[in-house]
Amino acid sequence: MDKRIIKMIVVLTATAVLSGGILALVYKKAEPLIEANRLRELKKAIFLVLPEAKDYKTVEKKGFNIYIGIDENGSQVGYAFVATGPGFQGKIKMMVGLANDMKTLTGMKVLEQVETPGLGNRISEDTFQGQFKGLSTEPEITYVKNKKPEKPNEIQAITGATISSKSVVAIVNKELKKVVKALKEEEVEKTYGP
Amino acid sequence: MPEIKEKKDDLLIVSSSPHIHTVENIPRIMHNVILSLFPPMGVSVYFFGMNALLLMLTSTVACILTEYVFQKGRKKEITIGDGSAIITGLLLALTLPPAFPLWAAALGGIVAMSLGKHIFGGLGYNIFNPALLGRAFLQAAFPVMITTWSAPLTGSIPVDGVTTATPLSLMKFEGQMTPYLNLLFGNVSGSLGETSAIAILIGAIYLLYKGYINLRQPFSYIGAIFVSGGIFWLISPDKYPDPIFHILSGGVMLGAFFMVTDYVTTPTTPLGQWIFGIAAGFLVVIIRLFGGLPEGVMYSILLMNAITPLLNRYTRPKIFGEVKVG
Amino acid sequence: MAPDGEVTLSKDFIKGLWKENPVIRQILGMCPTLAVTNSATNGLAMGLATTFVVISASTIVSIIKSLVPRQVRIATYVIIIASFVTIADLFLAAKFPSISKALGPYVPLIVVNCIILGRAEAFASKHPVHRAFIDALGMGVGFSWALILLGSIRELLGFGSIFGFKIMGAWFTPWIIMILPGGAFITLGIIIGLINQFTGSRTVDTSCH
Repeated sequence: MDKRIIKMIVVLTATAVLSGGILALVYKKAEPLIEANRLRELKKAIFLVLPEAKDYKTVEKKGFNIYIGIDENGSQVGYAFVATGPGFQGKIKMMVGLANDMKTLTGMKVLEQVETPGLGNRISEDTFQGQFKGLSTEPEITYVKNKKPEKPNEIQAITGATISSKSVVAIVNKELKKVVKALKEEEVEKTYGP
Repeated sequence: MPEIKEKKDDLLIVSSSPHIHTVENIPRIMHNVILSLFPPMGVSVYFFGMNALLLMLTSTVACILTEYVFQKGRKKEITIGDGSAIITGLLLALTLPPAFPLWAAALGGIVAMSLGKHIFGGLGYNIFNPALLGRAFLQAAFPVMITTWSAPLTGSIPVDGVTTATPLSLMKFEGQMTPYLNLLFGNVSGSLGETSAIAILIGAIYLLYKGYINLRQPFSYIGAIFVSGGIFWLISPDKYPDPIFHILSGGVMLGAFFMVTDYVTTPTTPLGQWIFGIAAGFLVVIIRLFGGLPEGVMYSILLMNAITPLLNRYTRPKIFGEVKVG
Repeated sequence: MAPDGEVTLSKDFIKGLWKENPVIRQILGMCPTLAVTNSATNGLAMGLATTFVVISASTIVSIIKSLVPRQVRIATYVIIIASFVTIADLFLAAKFPSISKALGPYVPLIVVNCIILGRAEAFASKHPVHRAFIDALGMGVGFSWALILLGSIRELLGFGSIFGFKIMGAWFTPWIIMILPGGAFITLGIIIGLINQFTGSRTVDTSCH
């Protein structure tokens, strides 16, 4: 074979192997830190929507990761789950906290969203998120515009960002229904199961 | 015959009238356009009070000053006397909500003149309608302020305007209709100059009578809105508004007679004007019914402005004996 | 008088700051320039990450320039650049998760930033290591300051703050458009336009040696 071609193969292979080796080392160092960051974020979000929780455990139900909050005495204070769905411009991802009775929300925190800055992205503000604390989920959550909410299942939409507000409500309603169903089935199993 | 062939190649190919660069006519046309804007201006002051007048004044002054600064800075002839800056300022103000802050209107005027007109080289060179470009900037910069509408406070001065929804957002978000008579006279909420269809028509008839605008563009624009709006209405009358509501509400009238007819930013050939009007009208209905915003007039015209050079190029009438090159 | 070597070195450094500034003169690397500069902090982070990659890549390329056959040089450069970008990406995700989140996909996208391959191909592969290093440093700093300037203007008008510090009072209404993509184009266009207007040098020789 041509000497030139051999040199090309050797150089490229050497570069690739060296790069791969170095990257593997870096990844090994960085990976646990990245995972720790992810868990810390998750924990922060769970404790935010379940204010009484001091610890949590993860259970998997029907493809959902449900986080059960536990207080310092070890008793259950509620459930938290991640709700994802379409917003005005892209995906909205939220952590939602649900009380033990499964009829009241204990909080909501927007984790990821790409709504319009200054308008839709105000769903991440505490004034909006805070409305979900203590919100009744029966009947379904609804929103009102330009006035104070009157019923226990109502929140006030953000002025000028009706679509984003509507999306949040719709996502929470939809995911909540699924989670509650999954949890209730579990209860049935607990009660009547073998 | 070889001589004729040679001569033909030397011919300068010109498009049909109107020609953009007939400078001596610009001031007269512009002053008449300003005159034709008086009815909608008057109605807006009647329905929305002093702030309407101040808004028009502010944005016009901002436009004139910006034009002056640019032309002075670039050592060009100062042409603020030709009235085009005044028209941009007035049209911009007429598309703003009545309670819009004056400083923001001034900013809109500065953007309209600088980014909309002078960055391209001044009158005749701009691609986009400057007033609409200014408004698009304001819409993107202050989305809450520009959608905060006050109810018409007939005659009185708006103290702290009661916020209401425009007929279009009532339709889009609440499924609620507004009576045609209100849309005709203009005692509904909306931008300063767009609420009264009759006032705009009076100004438009004057311009048509004077021969400064032709019917092709407004007709194709409104017609396309009527037809495409009508199709959706026939498909599902409960879900979509009727075509008459479409053409009477929002900025359709103002856009059709004062923006689709702009000499600089719309096609100069008749066929191009038809295509422009029909496509823009179709866009209005699509944006209104399926877009995130309740109103689509501004973006429909701006989008079509962008392809105007293309329309001019491909709809150029063939001159007798012209040989297609390339 | 300074020795010739120093003159060349300082020239290598200075040219990236102004005369051949990648952003405002060469109009290179527009993707990160426009996409991440909605705040000064993001501009700084992107500037630093890019500077790290351009310096590392240029240095390595300059070291191995005599070993790499001409035919596979681009492929080799890209492997080297991609490795450093991945390192930068992992580092940010591990140590500065919030910045990593804010910059999103634009950190991995440094791979395709033409400044880096441009410096490797146009300068580092033809000059000794110390000059390649200084050239890359100049380009990195030039890129960074342009991004910080752009980010500061957009953050000031779009949020009323710079580096997160509130500058504007309560009277100020943020111009939302400035933190949207449109604001990036408008701001960059105005900056380049003003610089051209006042320096009067509209046609600067940006060809790469």
